[in-house]
Amino acid sequence: MSAFTLSVNGKRHLVDADSDMPLLWALRDFLRLTGTKYGCGMGVCGACTVHEDGEPVRSCQIPLSATAGKEYVTIEGLSAQGDHPCQTAWLVEDVSQCGYCQAGMIMQAAALILRKPSPTDADIDADLSDHICRCGTYQRMRRAIRRAASTVRKT
Amino acid sequence: MADEPGVFEPNAYISITRDNVIRLWITRSEMGQGVHTTLAMMLAEELEVDWSQIQYEQAMPGGRFKGIRLRTSGSGSTVGTYNALRKAGATAREMLIAAAAEKWNVDAGSCRAQQGTVVHLATGRKLTFGELVAGAARQKVPDNPTLKTPKDFRVIGKPLERIDGRAIVTGQAVYGIDVHAPGMLYAVMARCPFIGGKVAAFDATKALAVPGVRHILPVNSGLATGVAVVADYTWAALKGRDTLKVQWTPGPNAGFDSDHFLSQMGDQLAQRQDGYFVRDDGDARTALDTAAKKLEATYEFPFQAHAPVETMNCVADVRKGSCEIWAPTQCPEVVQSETAKMLGLPEDSVKVHITLVGGGFGRRLFADYVPEAVEVSRAIGKPVQMLWTRSDDMRCGFFHPSDVEHIVGGLDTDGRPIVWVQRSIGSNLSMFGFPTEKQQKNLRLYFNDGSPWGSFDNPYNFPNLKADFIPLNSPVPTGPWRAVEYPPTVFARESFLDEMAHAAGKDPLEFRLHLLEPGDVLKVGDAKIDRSRLIRVLQVAAEKSAWKHPLAHTEDRLWGRGVACNVYDEDCFIAQVAEVSVGRQSHDIRVHRIVCVSDCGIVVNPLGLEGQAESGITWGLSATLHGKIDFKGGAAVQENFQDFEVLRIDEAPAVETHIVVTDHPPGGFGETGVPPVAPSVANAIFAATGKRIRSLPITPGKLKAVG
Repeated sequence: MSAFTLSVNGKRHLVDADSDMPLLWALRDFLRLTGTKYGCGMGVCGACTVHEDGEPVRSCQIPLSATAGKEYVTIEGLSAQGDHPCQTAWLVEDVSQCGYCQAGMIMQAAALILRKPSPTDADIDADLSDHICRCGTYQRMRRAIRRAASTVRKT
Repeated sequence: MADEPGVFEPNAYISITRDNVIRLWITRSEMGQGVHTTLAMMLAEELEVDWSQIQYEQAMPGGRFKGIRLRTSGSGSTVGTYNALRKAGATAREMLIAAAAEKWNVDAGSCRAQQGTVVHLATGRKLTFGELVAGAARQKVPDNPTLKTPKDFRVIGKPLERIDGRAIVTGQAVYGIDVHAPGMLYAVMARCPFIGGKVAAFDATKALAVPGVRHILPVNSGLATGVAVVADYTWAALKGRDTLKVQWTPGPNAGFDSDHFLSQMGDQLAQRQDGYFVRDDGDARTALDTAAKKLEATYEFPFQAHAPVETMNCVADVRKGSCEIWAPTQCPEVVQSETAKMLGLPEDSVKVHITLVGGGFGRRLFADYVPEAVEVSRAIGKPVQMLWTRSDDMRCGFFHPSDVEHIVGGLDTDGRPIVWVQRSIGSNLSMFGFPTEKQQKNLRLYFNDGSPWGSFDNPYNFPNLKADFIPLNSPVPTGPWRAVEYPPTVFARESFLDEMAHAAGKDPLEFRLHLLEPGDVLKVGDAKIDRSRLIRVLQVAAEKSAWKHPLAHTEDRLWGRGVACNVYDEDCFIAQVAEVSVGRQSHDIRVHRIVCVSDCGIVVNPLGLEGQAESGITWGLSATLHGKIDFKGGAAVQENFQDFEVLRIDEAPAVETHIVVTDHPPGGFGETGVPPVAPSVANAIFAATGKRIRSLPITPGKLKAVG
């Protein structure tokens, strides 16, 4: 057991845990930030996606020992008012069904539209192909991401 | 006035306060099919409130909801609540109007409710519902309130976005796995991987030494037995479980092999004696003997996992004399009654909170994961979360049964279809129970009052149609999977229809239209199936998919279209046309577009219906192209998404949904999109390549093997 300082959503937290504990469980059980979800535990579903220094990463694959000096953003911290262009677009396009995978999708998409301001469906498919949605919201997700990207381009 | 009621609650569903806070209770579980929204819409419509005014609440079993169904299954949420919710809203509305009329000393007929107020039309006087609370609470509850006619609907029929969407996209939404009770510990179980096996011995020494681990105990109350590791946080429980040494007794099913089971089902085809009666119209035997052309085929459907992204989980807090449960469940009444029985408590002492469900698909119609949490909480005297890991979820629990369908069809000399004989063989039994004594004694009774779905309600007008069902049980615990009995029977039925059409030299879509003439209402058992509605959706599907203009092959790929249709439980009619291409060299399969046409009567929320079309299609495609569960040596083989593959965004087709608007009573759509997917894709692949695959999943390997 060691003490780790985690920087999450702009705040510093002290977590006393094993160095091999995945960030996912620190977020959920210690910081009570449950927006980031457990889906597979092996990095193949994307439900645990957060931003590490702006890049989308799988928090179930990041041990606490690898978190030093990094800035993490979870779905709860993506925007102060819940109005990140992806969040707004997700609502306009009515994407979510059960919604469990959506936080991970939104975090991935938020990073994508910064990297690719005019993403095509092929760009979107390639970037999100490592995520799983059992409810099948993929088609609306494409529309929402294109919408979010165009909102960002306009501002 | 101090003694006046501060709240108006004319029924379980509606509560209005003096401050004009309007709360509506939702009596189904939200698992993505949109019930928080649609059920609130039905209440809001008749109540005449502004959509922006309402707050929704999740109902719980017992208390004010005693006797009101909460179980969420069978695509039945809208069908099952449409009348009750409208009546509940109308009841409240009439009492509020009566209260206003009383206050103004006018006739109730001169007042109208609109947007959360009551207006006296002649004078324009207006009072909010909140202002009328005390007066409304005094009114007599009307027995038969007047319901609005559909042409006056302001809310029902509108494409409204999900009422809970914002909570989801901001990470605030609470699923079962997110629940935290004060003092709660976290548990995972080392689960017996063998169906029906048990713990022989275990050594907890190392596990107890893992920091954070508090308790280790055997658990026997769930479906699978095992050993629970209870810790201060999830990771400690997982690490503790990793160091636990458990010896398993494999048990009586250690030899179970799903491939062998398939061949055992196939052996039943040779059974000469009739199985359980399903249908017997005309004289199939004679018709087969005299048919000019006969063909037959066997279709195979493997075991399937549900694999929702939120795994099974439950929080239980057992106290002396009471118990509180939080579960992402589709069967809250069962959760309450089973827990009460287990603890020897009256049901009213068991409080069940229904959380958001991160995917149900029928898996959460079983409460098997609840007693595990209850058993552990009772043993340690603390609230506990029992979490299933992905591997637990995929290998243990309930599965969709494996099934074999055999069909023989006959054509006359003019290529007209004259006879259809379908035999279903499968392990459906543990879904709905073993045949009752009544059923065993009288094979002429429709099995389980109309099983298997898809064969029992075969909508086509064959002059001779026979169907039976041979149960062959497996030790695998099986249960409802999205669309339940329809996927295997409809895969076979709609594929074989194409096989008959091709044998007759006829277009498959025209062949179906011919077989649905004269568009009458088929009566079978208690079911009434309106063939004209199925004709209509097929015609629209043909038009919207440009069916009459075949797709051209390209240099690298062979292209084709396939059609399939189905009736879900008499009140929802659906036709799908799939457009598929297959790589000439690689045999890889791409589904480019699916045109989905439905008629399910009055649609409460068309935006939601489109979502369910896309959803059911994605679900069906995963089973058509990718995942299945194999059992070897009595244990499931696949354990995570890397070996149980599901559809991802880069394979998701364009889905075009067309709603045929009719004013029939609402039908269900949560599952309706699933059954036509596999056969429409199989038919499209045949159209493209000339290759017929009769087992799922359809893979490049299977296509290559046909040569």
